[in-house]
Amino acid sequence: MSTMKLPRRPLAALGLTGLAAAALAGSAKPAEAQSVDDMLNKKKVSIGILIDLPPFGVVNAKNEYEGYDVDVAKLLAKYLGVTLDLVPVTGPNRIPYLLTNKVDVLVATFGITPERARQVQFSIPYSSIDILLVAPRQRKIANAAELKPLRVGVARASTQDTAITGAAPQGTRIMRFDDDATTAQALLSGQIDAIGVNNITLKQLQAMNPSAQYEPKFALRHQPNGITLRRGATDLHQWVNTFIYFITNNGELNAVHQKWFGGPLPQLPVF
Amino acid sequence: MMRHFGPLEAWFIITAVRWTLLLSAIAFIGGGLGGLLVALARTTAQRWLRTLAGGYIQIFQGTPLLMQLFLVFFGGNLIGSGLDPLTAAAVALTLNAAAFLGEIWRGCIQAIPPGQWEAATAIGLRPLQRMRHVILPQAGKIAIAPTVGFLVLLLKSTSLASIIGFVEITRAGQIINNVTFQPFPVFGLVAVIYFLLCWPLSFLSQRLERRFGTVSR
Repeated sequence: MSTMKLPRRPLAALGLTGLAAAALAGSAKPAEAQSVDDMLNKKKVSIGILIDLPPFGVVNAKNEYEGYDVDVAKLLAKYLGVTLDLVPVTGPNRIPYLLTNKVDVLVATFGITPERARQVQFSIPYSSIDILLVAPRQRKIANAAELKPLRVGVARASTQDTAITGAAPQGTRIMRFDDDATTAQALLSGQIDAIGVNNITLKQLQAMNPSAQYEPKFALRHQPNGITLRRGATDLHQWVNTFIYFITNNGELNAVHQKWFGGPLPQLPVF
Repeated sequence: MMRHFGPLEAWFIITAVRWTLLLSAIAFIGGGLGGLLVALARTTAQRWLRTLAGGYIQIFQGTPLLMQLFLVFFGGNLIGSGLDPLTAAAVALTLNAAAFLGEIWRGCIQAIPPGQWEAATAIGLRPLQRMRHVILPQAGKIAIAPTVGFLVLLLKSTSLASIIGFVEITRAGQIINNVTFQPFPVFGLVAVIYFLLCWPLSFLSQRLERRFGTVSR
């Protein structure tokens, strides 16, 4: 990890790290594991969603939250039989939101990784995205080893950040931005040579600047996303898995996928 | 799925101005009251009060506002009482502003020549009367420029509250940027709004300075 770090808000990263450290050290009140009964008793479930990741979560023209994650969150509340409280979170602050009990669960396109599972608990996948390395057509990049002389941009604390950081050789300049839109702008203005993005953002990039002919050079990771809970919430975890299993089988999840991606739900792995 | 940056998107950002203004107003009023106490504590004869206020200032001037926002917002939940983003941001900004304003105003109070303090004591004013009738009116004039300068800074600092999820204009801009991918019109508008908010303050400061004049030494 001797890569160069250029986050737009280095202090925020510091804050998150410090906070995560404090939470892990157990020096304060531990995060509360919640049960199904807790949700039923308070008749409400607070769900953290991203509102800056189309089409998973966005603010629409009526200033309402909508997207794939929002629809899944609505289904979750419906089957739990409680009212839904949507809480907007950001990629970097979603773990603090969950661990400090500000939300009950996250439906936030959160890629399932063992590193994250040290802090939080994932359900079986309910969506998936492909993380790609993208660059203009004339730039030849065959594999991760060829990234070394390049400046590669990623959204900080995202799966593409983890994937690039792991795959790029030592000495690669990895530049971390706040979100995908900012990273995309860095690519458009030539401040980075390549970008790690998901397949949905790639389509936006191509639409924004057709002449650059942005194309995927290689796949970094296929990312299944899980609904995220606090560790130890075994009872609720089992319910959430049951819920995903059910809406996958009865076609509701497929309908949500059709609505936002215009295609059928891909085969999702289970564990 | 992609949205174009149009009137609706601009309106989303413009309506977020009220949150920036509300946050600034709370922080400035709260910070002003707190800052006055801090400034008085820093200039009192009581040694323990001076030390206490000094420690407070050191803590809040010596740590980034972003960390303070984080600790208040997420830390509050860890010790049991959760704050919503607005309250947390207001508390953190108020505490921060009190420290800075306290130190600015301490300087202004201490800039009043010793002769003024001695003359006030000589005519028999008690410490509180001396402060109220002689020192503070003069210190207030010196304080205008740095205070407004800090207020402008504070207004812009409210953008840091976007990190805890509070949707003021900067966060509204980020949200719109992520559905339009058009950072230049989005953040251009955000910058123009900040300017329109800050410029009248600077203008007001110049007017006040001209009106009250500066204290002669």
